[in-house]
Amino acid sequence: MKVARARLLDRIGTRVWSQGNALTRPFRRRAWVDAVLVLGLCGTLFGLLEFAREWTGTPRPTIDIDLSPLALPTYTFFSMTRGLVAYLISLGFTLVYAFWAAKDPRAERLLVPLLDILQSIPVLGFMPGLVLALVALFPGSNIGLELAAIVMIFTGQAWNMTFSFYHSLKSVPHDLRETSVVYRFSWWERFKWVELPFGTTGLVWNSMMSMAGGWFFLMITEAFHLGDHDFRLPGLGSYMSVAAHEGNVSAMVLAVLAMMTMIVGLDQLLWRPVVVWAQRFRVEETSAAEVPRSWFIDLLRRSKLVRRLEHRYRRRTHLRAPSPPPVPPSPPPPVRPGDGPLALLPWAALVALAAAMGWGALQLLRLLSRLDWSHWSVLALAGLTTLGRVLVSTAIGTAWTVPLGLAVGLSPRVSRVFQPVAQVMASFPAPMLFPAAIALFHAAGVGLGVGSIVLMLLGTQWYILFNVIAGASSVPSDLREAAVAFRMPRRDRFWTLYLPAVFPYLVTGWVTAAGGAWNASIVAEYVTYRGSTLETFGLGAAISRAAEQGHFAELTAAVLVMSVAVVCFNRLVWRRCYRLASTRFSLTK
Amino acid sequence: MTDAPICELRGVHKAFDRGGGKLLQVLEDVTLDVRANEVLCLLGPSGCGKSTILRIVAGLIRPTRGEVLYHGRPLDGLSPGVAIVFQSFALFPWLTVEQNVAKVLRPLGLDEAAAREKARAAIRNVGLEGFRDAYPRELSGGMKQRVGMARALVVNPEVLLMDEPFSQVDALTAQALRAEVLDIWDDRERNPSSIVMVSHDISEVAYMADRIVVLSANPGRIRTIVENTLPRPRDTRSAEFGALLDRLHDVVISAELGEVSATAVSPAAPRDIVEPIPAVQVADILGLLEYLDTQGGGCDLYQLAHDTHATFVEVLAIVKGAEMLDLVDTPQRLVRLTPLGQRFVRSSMEERKRIWNGQLLKLAIFRVVRDMLEKGGGEVARDEVVREIQQRFPREDAARIFDVLVTWGRFGELFTYHDPPGHLVASTVEADR
Repeated sequence: MKVARARLLDRIGTRVWSQGNALTRPFRRRAWVDAVLVLGLCGTLFGLLEFAREWTGTPRPTIDIDLSPLALPTYTFFSMTRGLVAYLISLGFTLVYAFWAAKDPRAERLLVPLLDILQSIPVLGFMPGLVLALVALFPGSNIGLELAAIVMIFTGQAWNMTFSFYHSLKSVPHDLRETSVVYRFSWWERFKWVELPFGTTGLVWNSMMSMAGGWFFLMITEAFHLGDHDFRLPGLGSYMSVAAHEGNVSAMVLAVLAMMTMIVGLDQLLWRPVVVWAQRFRVEETSAAEVPRSWFIDLLRRSKLVRRLEHRYRRRTHLRAPSPPPVPPSPPPPVRPGDGPLALLPWAALVALAAAMGWGALQLLRLLSRLDWSHWSVLALAGLTTLGRVLVSTAIGTAWTVPLGLAVGLSPRVSRVFQPVAQVMASFPAPMLFPAAIALFHAAGVGLGVGSIVLMLLGTQWYILFNVIAGASSVPSDLREAAVAFRMPRRDRFWTLYLPAVFPYLVTGWVTAAGGAWNASIVAEYVTYRGSTLETFGLGAAISRAAEQGHFAELTAAVLVMSVAVVCFNRLVWRRCYRLASTRFSLTK
Repeated sequence: MTDAPICELRGVHKAFDRGGGKLLQVLEDVTLDVRANEVLCLLGPSGCGKSTILRIVAGLIRPTRGEVLYHGRPLDGLSPGVAIVFQSFALFPWLTVEQNVAKVLRPLGLDEAAAREKARAAIRNVGLEGFRDAYPRELSGGMKQRVGMARALVVNPEVLLMDEPFSQVDALTAQALRAEVLDIWDDRERNPSSIVMVSHDISEVAYMADRIVVLSANPGRIRTIVENTLPRPRDTRSAEFGALLDRLHDVVISAELGEVSATAVSPAAPRDIVEPIPAVQVADILGLLEYLDTQGGGCDLYQLAHDTHATFVEVLAIVKGAEMLDLVDTPQRLVRLTPLGQRFVRSSMEERKRIWNGQLLKLAIFRVVRDMLEKGGGEVARDEVVREIQQRFPREDAARIFDVLVTWGRFGELFTYHDPPGHLVASTVEADR
């Protein structure tokens, strides 16, 4: 299921990211390219220095957000750096965790279900506790707060990447595995030359998804209040919240534009080149219909500076690595796993992890024993209410995106234009728009009970739209032709061809959207607007209120209930949908 | 039997927009009629537009230019009297066999019960009664195509259109299906009156067709129409059948190789044939040469296809490739090694590459690429070469030609190719790095 999804993403990606470069192709000048590169490097360096000063600076009781447009680039850079640092941590975590889970059968039994749970639970519920703990840990500086932000983003990024890489490691083809055994690769050589290249394609696509998901958490943490305490960080999220608070519309628009610029910029300057580079690791022998391209890579190649560096690097590697002897005279004895003191390391780590989990569970039980049954029944009811909102928002999202997505996806011309737009919309962090949306509700007299559904929709409907477009554009042309040739009326075509054909994509969209909606409920059902607190009955509100009032037992209980609700719903509903999608509605024979 | 044709194409042209205003000419001036009570087969290599003709007859595609008539009246939209059997079956994977067949009756205004009744009868007729509730994925290729046939026949079409219907079915099943299709068609009282079938299999069309339309590719044009008056049921071992096969092979060979032999000049002089290189791997050409060497230097083309288990069209493409390099020549239906080809086969790998390299540079397209490499300081981007090819062969798939060009050039050590980024690098430059 995960593998199929990765392959699906790959296909979507190839289609989406290979467009819109014709304009930049015909230029060849080189000198100014070098100048731009050097300027860009200097700018990055300056930004990093600023960021470092921010980190070590003394904590302020409240930070002042400068709403002038000139301050915006700095804030954008801060936000971006947080996202990138978190991504690097996620990548490191992914490599270690997935490798461990794939190689150690004992650990696998614990690590994989743990990952599945971590992936399902709404991590936002843990934010208040995390922020308080880390701020207390670093009392003298902003490090604690920055770390909390980065850890929050990390929790939004890491799991799907880890799953993807774990599945890649588990599905390395037999012949490649046997080759690495026959030629006596060490575990490191095997990792470097076989497993990592094999997993790269999936990892790259999941990285892009993760990065997009990470902005959601970034926007929330940057603008975080807990009761009277102000835990805001200078960045786009706080800029937006201050702008909304002051009703400064032009600043709000500018912030949204800055966010969009950052998303598109990162996509063009970072991800597209990575995607193009990752092409070399494609395993299928057949080449993709459209080869992804990157104008940025083409640009770099036109730079004399980069060329010279590349040549020098090549020459150095040539010098360093003389051609190896054809046959190693005496192959080293194969290292058997389980030899030496190093073999104890995974064991120790596993025991430590299990112990930590056990201790955590014990603490949890002690904390929860303070609550009586009335609390639990209220929480259960709140859970059902929020579940209702999640389902309604998913249903509304489906109702309008399916017809539109089909219309777009079935026409290659329209989808070529529209798909990148949907992609940017899906990456855009909806919480950034919450303050503005709430102001609108306030003006229109809409309560938060209904309003929170709209807030959920703001962020999650794009996933469904994006997936439906991808599904519609991959409806096999022979089936479409058959439907026309046998004169199926429009309605029939929708029910017997298009809907079943996009169903697997729709399920992927639903799972992502519903997961996002649960998370969004925490910030959507309980909001602060111009100093007053608006809330509606629901599990998300229960979490936020408990956090704000410092009721840790209630907070823990609410988070627990939400986690259980999400995991149960995944198991009972989405998993069945996935099974249906991969059997009955699968187009691969 | 009336003489008036059921469907007519008059001077039909078709070009597809390949994006960016580039047009790919697929059909050029096709005039054709489908008569009552006949089996008409369209035979030709891939890219000759035979499937496009079928879809124009069906009304699925409109021609860019020219007229399409059905019973003498211009066709507007879908043709009222046709049904299609698809190469890839095109069954809805989430519907059962019965639902797949019944679904196409509903648009005709039948209610659900009547549709189910007719569908069951149609399924019974193709021998799939026990599989009514099966899903397509549970069926073999042959059974899937039976469902495809039941679905087409159940709408009672006047003309049954079949797009390479047996190419994804195993050989024995295909033979059974061919006979069954002819049995169904043979009943003069009932539809389908006529069958139009697309195929690339010469013996299949000889077995089935009354008239065989031989097409040539790039752009698709009608080469000739061969009448097949052999009595039915046809005996594939009879002398007449063999003679028909020979004749068809000759027609196809001249359609495929004709241009090369016509423009061949003395091999020493650089030729400027504006002839795209065929999509043939180097290994196939080497294999052909080795094979000819074991056959005493020459062999009958038909025999060659038979011995190598390749389709006739594939073999022709390989021979054409070798002929462009002057390694073989093709007097009539023979293919034999040229003296250069002899030397090539007997040489070491190094010498072979030298010969290959020299022969490549006799082809205009490789000289163009070499010049581009020289101009670009030993390096040239894929896109530039593709654009150049596109200009020289506006009707061809430039990307495909580029891929072939890369494998040929790499073998001749003319250049190497780095992908990504998609750069051709001259071998002389590559060695310096």
